Amino acid sequence: MIRNMGKLLRKKKEKKSLMQNDYLDSKPSDSLDVNFNQNVETLRSVYDNCSDVMFRSFLLFGKTRAMLIYIAGLSDIEAIEQYVLSPLMQESSKEPQPLHEFIEHKMPVPKVVKVNMVADCIESISSGNPILLYEGESDGFSLGLSKWEKRAIEEPVAEGGVRGSREGFIESLEVNTSQLRRIIKSPALKIQSMKIGTLTRTNVSIAYIDGLADKTLIEEIKTRLERIEIDGILESEYIEEMIEDNPFSPFPQIMSTERPDVACASLLEGRAVILVEGTPFTLIAPISFFSLIQSQEDYAQRFMAGTFIRWLRYFFMGLSLLLPSLYVAILTFHQEAVPTALLLSVAASRESVPFPAIVEALAMEITFEALREAGVRLPKQVGSAVSIVGALVIGQASVQAGLVSAPMVIVVAITGIASFMMPRYIAGIAFRMLRFPMMLLAGTLGLLGIMMGIIAIVIHLCSLRSFGVPYLAPLAPLKGKELKDVLWRAPWWRMDSRPRLTGESNAYRQAPEQSPNPKRGSEEE
Amino acid sequence: MKSVLLLLVICGTTPFLSGCWDRIEITDLAIVTAAAIDKKDNDQIELSVQVFIPSSITSGGGQGGSSQGGSGVTTMVRNEKGANISDALSKLQSKLPRKIFWGHCKVFVFGEKLAKKGIQEQLDFLLRHPQPREKANMYVSKGDAKPILESLPPLENYSGEVLRELSDLHIGMLVTMQDLDEMLTGRPQAAAIPIVKILPPAKGQTKLQGIPYIVGTAVFKKDKMTGTMTEKETRGLLWLRDEVESYTVTFQPKGAKGNISLSPVSAKVKIIPQIINEKWKLLVKINTDGAVIQNGTNLNLSNPKSLKAAERAYQKDIEKRIEMAFLHTQDKKADILGLGKDFYRKYPKQFNKVDNHWDEIFAEMEVEVDVAAHIRRQGYINKPAALSEKEVKDK
Repeated sequence: MIRNMGKLLRKKKEKKSLMQNDYLDSKPSDSLDVNFNQNVETLRSVYDNCSDVMFRSFLLFGKTRAMLIYIAGLSDIEAIEQYVLSPLMQESSKEPQPLHEFIEHKMPVPKVVKVNMVADCIESISSGNPILLYEGESDGFSLGLSKWEKRAIEEPVAEGGVRGSREGFIESLEVNTSQLRRIIKSPALKIQSMKIGTLTRTNVSIAYIDGLADKTLIEEIKTRLERIEIDGILESEYIEEMIEDNPFSPFPQIMSTERPDVACASLLEGRAVILVEGTPFTLIAPISFFSLIQSQEDYAQRFMAGTFIRWLRYFFMGLSLLLPSLYVAILTFHQEAVPTALLLSVAASRESVPFPAIVEALAMEITFEALREAGVRLPKQVGSAVSIVGALVIGQASVQAGLVSAPMVIVVAITGIASFMMPRYIAGIAFRMLRFPMMLLAGTLGLLGIMMGIIAIVIHLCSLRSFGVPYLAPLAPLKGKELKDVLWRAPWWRMDSRPRLTGESNAYRQAPEQSPNPKRGSEEE
Repeated sequence: MKSVLLLLVICGTTPFLSGCWDRIEITDLAIVTAAAIDKKDNDQIELSVQVFIPSSITSGGGQGGSSQGGSGVTTMVRNEKGANISDALSKLQSKLPRKIFWGHCKVFVFGEKLAKKGIQEQLDFLLRHPQPREKANMYVSKGDAKPILESLPPLENYSGEVLRELSDLHIGMLVTMQDLDEMLTGRPQAAAIPIVKILPPAKGQTKLQGIPYIVGTAVFKKDKMTGTMTEKETRGLLWLRDEVESYTVTFQPKGAKGNISLSPVSAKVKIIPQIINEKWKLLVKINTDGAVIQNGTNLNLSNPKSLKAAERAYQKDIEKRIEMAFLHTQDKKADILGLGKDFYRKYPKQFNKVDNHWDEIFAEMEVEVDVAAHIRRQGYINKPAALSEKEVKDK
């Protein structure tokens, strides 16, 4: 048996990639022919059976044959009419020479790029940029006239707040990068793009602030992105899973956010933001554990309010992980630890319950998780009714039927509320998942089991790294100066240094001693 | 790598082999809230335990059914005879369907006969067994201890709670198992434990509704009860132990009719052992403030002269109490205040010389009480109520 386990553990042989690139990339190394008809034929064969690809043939200035290839839904039809077809179709005795100069320099089109590879033509057409081919020219021209239907900028659904910007990212990469640019106007904000995914050719951009973000970080991110070989990227989650340091950890090492102000705050701390076309969720790397439990909301309010809410959140975070386990452990192993009056009440309420405490706890927690998951998919009209039914009626009815004790319902309710305190949904899920092993440990080994569980989690968190940055910084490698943003929310006039592990190149973000003080008023005081 | 994983698997699964062997559901526990130990004939003791009945306080949890009011039967008492506590306990377990759980037993009562015979043997069980709490209160009952457990007091959930709350009010002494242990194993080898008795039930109440209450203190030498102290003496004792909290001192100032009652607001007690010219003396320095809560005389206490008269009377009253309490302990030759320890700390050499007959030295010790008593506050009104200006003696 041990030998078989050993076989499982031996290093897996390098799997050869079985992806078939040839069919999909369609002669990538071919260049456009000098023969116009040949080019057209090539492209027609590539786009065989694609009824949405338009092949518009016309005569350039009444003389030369030209072909405009575009996809109607992806290109700006009006602009094509007005700025491409109209000027080019004018009958003119004097054909401007040379033609390619006219097209490149005298057409009112935002971007004109010369292409001479078939692969580039295909990419251009797929992105909505029409390709202009004409007789006598071995190169084609890609015109930057893409336009398609986009969602309006709305408030992010999952990351609302009381105060702060209500704009969120949308699915279009251009609009997202423009939102970043609107907030950070300096040219130091660099945005590098690449395409990932052989079938989807998704545009992925890395944004960072030059001089602030670590160069090695950007190199590392680019390396990891470039080595992704997949047929399609539909969500930033795909990328997240492919480039993270430790995929087997329940804790995310890359954060995703839908808000431009959160993304820009991370940029200003020296982190990098990865934007993916087709999803409003951008990725932020590297992060620490505390990025997951801090929320933009804390910074939008006064620092005392922010501190108070932050402490509440830490406390409830602990509760969401430990409360059911503590309940089970203390009631089954350590009854002497409870105050007598409380113990007598709980004993009284558990008289009628047929199950042991651990079974009761597991059953209620699983039911609660099921209710929550079902709630996500409920249509809005039915949603609130079912949540009331689920929580109150099922809880109340099971207590009255004597299946579950009332303290257990309270424990489950408080745990549920506590798990919603996490501002990042992913982090909340991590704690929710970890609750179940903790309950099992508590039910078998009591408080000792809980301690073992906590130690295991803490050891795991300490060893976790996100792109090289220790996950529990600034608590794990202890950095005194940065604790002011972790243990409480220091007011802005105190936050003059950036977190060292990401923003070391440019350590100070504001002038010191900026506390608002009547003494610092005008000089004539 | 292989061996590491194997090791992890073994380490990870062995804890589960324990099968949670220490797991006990609350519904399988008999929660003991008070215990009483009596002496029976033939060198046997009788152990009685007061077990709480959880279903008596279910409110809406169960099916409704036989819902009891607040004064329903919340506890039941079971008793059993045996050679010592452990023996009786094992026999007692056969009478209870649930496992006896001492973890919440906060009251232990020794019967009078057992106390006179000696409690050392039974105390050994209580200190040795891991479950009983060291912070549990100890009492001695006048007569048999079992009736104390059987009473069903109207105010609290169980009679043990009544005793505990009374002790907490510092009307009698508050002696925990830990205190008792320290007192008996320390140098003085003398202890004091409050005595409890049952107040007979009022007219119209059943026999079981008498409430237990504290009547003075039992004095122990070594582990046998040698005498009792009345409530008044007990209060003096409390002064000496610096455990005065909330009771009233009533006295009559010289030359005035009526009583003034004070409630001590604060009391600082310092006990200073002294050996002067080979004579062992004890100096008790007390600094106490009081607040007037009832003035039955015609003195106006805002007047400094009247105030001084009242303070002097207050002072004398406290001196008298303390001397009385102290003389009583000397009488019994029981050093329940732990003075041996204080003397040893201050005069180690001299104490070691007289260590073996400390009790005699203690019996002949002089005590000097130095009380600084002040009356600080007078409540809401200054002059005595309902007396006209003329009647108030303002000199």
